[in-house]
Amino acid sequence: MSLKDILSPFYAWKRTLEKPYTIKKPIEEREGADRYRGFHVNDIEKCIGCGTCEEICQNEAIDMVPVDFIHTKKGDSGLRPQIDYGRCCWCALCVDVCPTGSLGMSNDYIWVTPDPEEWVFKPGVDEKEWKDDDKGYRRTDEAWLLDPKLTPMPVMEPEVRKNTFDEMAYGYEVIMATEEASRCLECGICIDACPTHMDIPEYIKAIRENRLEDGLKILYDTNPFSESCGRVCTAHCQDVCALGHNGDPIAIRWLKRYITDQTADRRNEILGIGKPLPEKDGTVGIIGGGPAGLTAAFYLRNYGYKVTVYEQHDKLGGMLRYGIPQYRLPKEILDREIQTILDTGVEVQYNVKVGKDISLRELKDKHDALFISVGAQIGTQMPIEGIDTPGVLVGLEFLDQIAEGKRPNLGERVMVVGGGNTAMDVCRSSVRLGAKEVFVFYRRTEAEMPANDEEIEEAKEEGVKFEFLTAPTKITKEGDKLKVQCIRMQLGEPDATGRRRPIPIEGSEFTVEVDTVIMAIGQKVDSSMAEQADVKATRWGTFEVDPDTLQTNVHGIFAGGDCELGPDDAIHAIADGKKAAYFIDKYISKQGKNHAETK
Amino acid sequence: MEEILKRLDERFYVREKKQQRPNLLFVTVDKKVAVEAVTYLRDYEGFRHLVMISAVDYIEQNLFQLTYLLHNYQLHSDIGVRVFIDREHPVMDSIHHLWAAAQVYQREIKEMFGIDFPGSPRVDEPMILEGWDNIPPMRKDFDTKKYAEETYFPREGRFTLDPIKQMEKKNYPLEAEVKYEIKRVVRDNRDKK
Repeated sequence: MSLKDILSPFYAWKRTLEKPYTIKKPIEEREGADRYRGFHVNDIEKCIGCGTCEEICQNEAIDMVPVDFIHTKKGDSGLRPQIDYGRCCWCALCVDVCPTGSLGMSNDYIWVTPDPEEWVFKPGVDEKEWKDDDKGYRRTDEAWLLDPKLTPMPVMEPEVRKNTFDEMAYGYEVIMATEEASRCLECGICIDACPTHMDIPEYIKAIRENRLEDGLKILYDTNPFSESCGRVCTAHCQDVCALGHNGDPIAIRWLKRYITDQTADRRNEILGIGKPLPEKDGTVGIIGGGPAGLTAAFYLRNYGYKVTVYEQHDKLGGMLRYGIPQYRLPKEILDREIQTILDTGVEVQYNVKVGKDISLRELKDKHDALFISVGAQIGTQMPIEGIDTPGVLVGLEFLDQIAEGKRPNLGERVMVVGGGNTAMDVCRSSVRLGAKEVFVFYRRTEAEMPANDEEIEEAKEEGVKFEFLTAPTKITKEGDKLKVQCIRMQLGEPDATGRRRPIPIEGSEFTVEVDTVIMAIGQKVDSSMAEQADVKATRWGTFEVDPDTLQTNVHGIFAGGDCELGPDDAIHAIADGKKAAYFIDKYISKQGKNHAETK
Repeated sequence: MEEILKRLDERFYVREKKQQRPNLLFVTVDKKVAVEAVTYLRDYEGFRHLVMISAVDYIEQNLFQLTYLLHNYQLHSDIGVRVFIDREHPVMDSIHHLWAAAQVYQREIKEMFGIDFPGSPRVDEPMILEGWDNIPPMRKDFDTKKYAEETYFPREGRFTLDPIKQMEKKNYPLEAEVKYEIKRVVRDNRDKK
């Protein structure tokens, strides 16, 4: 033992007169470090109530609960996390996983209350003094537990695809699909946004676990056009995807395509199509064999009704065939998908135009119920001088021709008027037909364009040029060229649709010389058959229905799809077809008949 | 350390060794020579300080592993002496005669893993688990969640809602009804023999 060991206890006495290290009351609060993990904060405007925090919490400390002033809406469940601090261990996994980045932790850690119930509260909702703290723990990009990057779809290079109508997207391979599927959080916020409410997280899970047969079955529960939708769906689901808030949304559409691609050769076997279906009394006539009509046919066959589809063309598919070009949806794909629907035993009468070849009244007498799904097949014309000059085409008719296999010569310079998906299909088809220069004239700006961003982007890649805030006013023919007089626009006050109204700028007229003009400015419904059975139509020419049941004013006649909605996308038509099947069954079966009537 | 390892191996036969850092070595020796090895390290090699005793449950191999971590003040080095014992007969010789502090570790290991150290003072008395009536809680076959659910009651008034169901209820109750019935009809037909 050294001398130091003996003396050291006495050294302590030298501290006798120093300021003590104990803490005085009232306690002087010491602020936590800048990134201290204290009580939670939540930006409730940013939070979408996806419940991923609840899912990851190892202590089951988080519940998703409704909040009075937050309403459930598209992309937001209206629920907000409530944390039980009797269970929370401040591990911050909930913060590190949060897809929107709304959840964080303040650096406040000193708080006490004698009421145990107060230890359960909703961050960001309940008033706490740290509610708006900026300091504390926040998720960093490195610590984020999610993968914000999309697995890219392999596509044909723009220079190659400009010269061919072949499909431009090659489809995911196994490893890509698994990788993309593993990004999904299964929160299900997307299900609400899908018009037909597909069980998206369930089929993505099936891909992840390589149960593609189950995946296909899940698709057909809600959508018999899954293969087409896997290619051309407008994907409202992806608009609300939780991952889309801080990264790329899951490529839900491509994952759906992956399932149908991989199971195509055994589709009927997997789905049990061809097995005897139940038989119910009653026949249903379906007018128009597009996505709405054929979806209704598929589900009505499953109910056990005899179904006859009346189709004015010699092929089925409606807008999927005549409106969407081959490079986005190959006809062979559409054909095999429709074949699956027909294999349930649907009868089809081709080349029958209801209203002309047979009246709506006659069909009404022939069937127990009718579903009108004729779509919006007439291209809108612009009321300008020279619109019927040869060389001025209507977008829908042009696409129709291409679908029939015709390849018209458009010349070198083509002007496409319009800003919707049809305009994109038209301009991109024009490129493929060999036009050297293709211009899209749109009277508003790119921000107002109704076309999907992806479509616009791809059109640009293919060399399509855009002229915004411009509209044609007069077309004349000089020699073999078209002279189009145009005027510049500026945006004024928002109109009824919420988009800002374009106003012509006086004196801004100019003239463009082109070979062809294609008008793709809108579609109209031909509802002339309606009066044959006293069915009401709206002043826009669409069929008027009870929005709940899709029944028109005439009992037993239902309408859905574009002819009821006005021009819209395939997935809305499919949703309508499914709903119509349900209410037609309710109508036909005795008990349900009352249900549909009392609605 | 290499010298020490060599001498240790000659005397007690080191089954496995792992040089974690220049001044941290782990050795595995047989159960029957473990206390001798620890004694030797303390009295001949200067590892005078018992840092701790720890245990791991290797349930898959039906073994417990004990680690005696010893420190040498002169060398500023540590040796962990590891020993595997049969999980079915979890008994180990006590080392409380070498370090009085060992009795605390041994009492704790007895309580948490059920490994007995006969002769160690107060080894059978509970340390923190008064009135414990279950298998020792640090054993891998102890289901913490199940125990918690059976023993404690959840906080009253807590409930949670599923975002998917909430959106169905609030945004599209009718369409949800349509969806579930159609789904049922389609599945009935498909899964029929």
